[in-house]
Amino acid sequence: VGAELPLSLSLSRCRGSLRGFADGPQTHFGFQRVTEEERREKINQVFDSVAKKYDVMNDSMTLGIHRLWKDALVRKMNPSPGTLLLDVAGGTGDIAFRFINYVRSVRERQLQQRLKHHQNLSWQEIAESYQEDKSPLGGSQVVVCDINKEMLNIGKEKAQNLGYSEGLSWVLGNAEELPFDDDKFDVYTIAFGIRNVTRMDLALQEAYRVLKPGGRFLCLEFSRVTNPLLSRLYDLYSFQVIPVLGQVIAGDWKAYQYLVESIRRFPPQEELKAIIEDAGFFKVDYQNLSSGIVAIHSGFKP
Amino acid sequence: VRWQLCPPQRPLQASAVLRRVSDEHKKEPLASSSQQQFNSQPADHQPEQEPQGPDPSYTGQDGQESEDYESEEQLQHRILTAALEFVPEHGWTAEAIAEGAKTLGLSAAAAGMFQSDGSQLILHFVSQCNTKLSELLEHEQKLVQQGEAEKKPTDQFLRDAVEARLRMVIPYIEKWPQALSILLLPHNIPSSLSLLSSMIDDIWHYAGDQSTDINWYTRRAVLTGIYNTTELVMMQDSSPDFEDTWRFLENRVADAMKMGDTANQV
Repeated sequence: VGAELPLSLSLSRCRGSLRGFADGPQTHFGFQRVTEEERREKINQVFDSVAKKYDVMNDSMTLGIHRLWKDALVRKMNPSPGTLLLDVAGGTGDIAFRFINYVRSVRERQLQQRLKHHQNLSWQEIAESYQEDKSPLGGSQVVVCDINKEMLNIGKEKAQNLGYSEGLSWVLGNAEELPFDDDKFDVYTIAFGIRNVTRMDLALQEAYRVLKPGGRFLCLEFSRVTNPLLSRLYDLYSFQVIPVLGQVIAGDWKAYQYLVESIRRFPPQEELKAIIEDAGFFKVDYQNLSSGIVAIHSGFKP
Repeated sequence: VRWQLCPPQRPLQASAVLRRVSDEHKKEPLASSSQQQFNSQPADHQPEQEPQGPDPSYTGQDGQESEDYESEEQLQHRILTAALEFVPEHGWTAEAIAEGAKTLGLSAAAAGMFQSDGSQLILHFVSQCNTKLSELLEHEQKLVQQGEAEKKPTDQFLRDAVEARLRMVIPYIEKWPQALSILLLPHNIPSSLSLLSSMIDDIWHYAGDQSTDINWYTRRAVLTGIYNTTELVMMQDSSPDFEDTWRFLENRVADAMKMGDTANQV
């Protein structure tokens, strides 16, 4: 029996590879094996179906903690007024709105400082200062790029409801093939999106391409939990509770099953760091949030 | 601002292949140059690591060194040196670093490479000043050895060394109190203390101190005290060319000498 088993395994592997050769390169969708085309199609369907309830599900699955994670990302970015941000897989606009808020408050403080400084200026200099740029965002812009039209629509609606209009653009695009020129952006972020990209290396190459020299790459993503006890609880919660919530709130068990499986499939912190370094970024480091449930990876273009 | 929707000129696969091929070409010379770099790195690493201080996140070691690019540390050095120019206006903050990065043609986001409280900028400046001081003292020592200058008495020597070092701070004096307060933050104390002690050690070395007993410690402790108090006096000194500060320094050094003599007599 021991001798037979390896033989049958190798036979099925042959069969599998023959099939794969006919359909295209094999990859994974959660715990299933699919071709790359199938994967893209399936992920598109996932997001088409969850788009309307995306934010509600985020809140209920993470008990609202995802807001803190996103706040941490923008705080780490520490953008100054005049920064151009590209938020890929930015769908419903969470990062973009936080960026705008942050830049607005920094800009307010800057203008206040300038007012204080005004007390020592001559009349000539004060008159000149009236010509200066006093815009509330100081020239900062954010471009939200997503591959899924439904998610972008939800994002645009949210922007209208919350009153964000200035400095915001919405573009339909694929992270593996961005519709932008080289050396354009100061910061590139991808929050909870890189997991869904089929060819991560291409996405990272594109990120490298569109960033200016000195530009920063930031990636917020689920990662490996370091604490073993927490890991057990987390697994339990992921596989037992989340798909149920998905069925009850969004009416889609399978999409959330995919979500938790894709989290398990995603490379851990050190591996992702190596992959980012391979794409050409330097000074790559990561910061664990919530003991490794989520990690922020950061890299710079030399 | 208009975003150009330009489809890639070449098909994506071809460009990816081209990039991979060029990467492979890059990798071979890299392998040999990185070997050499690695051998010379450790020598550079030590003085660089200290000013960095403890990092809460995990940093990569050598980073990408390709073609004629400099290493991470060299780039960071250049950015911080460029940023010093903007300190009088923005203070020791991430904004000054961002402005410095912009003058080098980098995006302002490069300031994210450093901690946001500006402590790395201050430590960089302090270590630069210390290096300048060492070079100055070594130059003077050479002159004495060649017989072109006279050997100064100890108190004069100490006074001149401390004055020379403190004068380097004068261009930034308005923002220096901010810098001092940041250097005193708990997570910066190891680095700032080590820079301070190595500077004091340097001064005593060039002053000709060869003690091997308790004097080694007392002399350095006393000079550290003199330096720190003089620095504080300089912060709120408004006399022309800081005359009051130098007079204060003279008196303190004289006190220290007197104490040393009395201790010897006893």
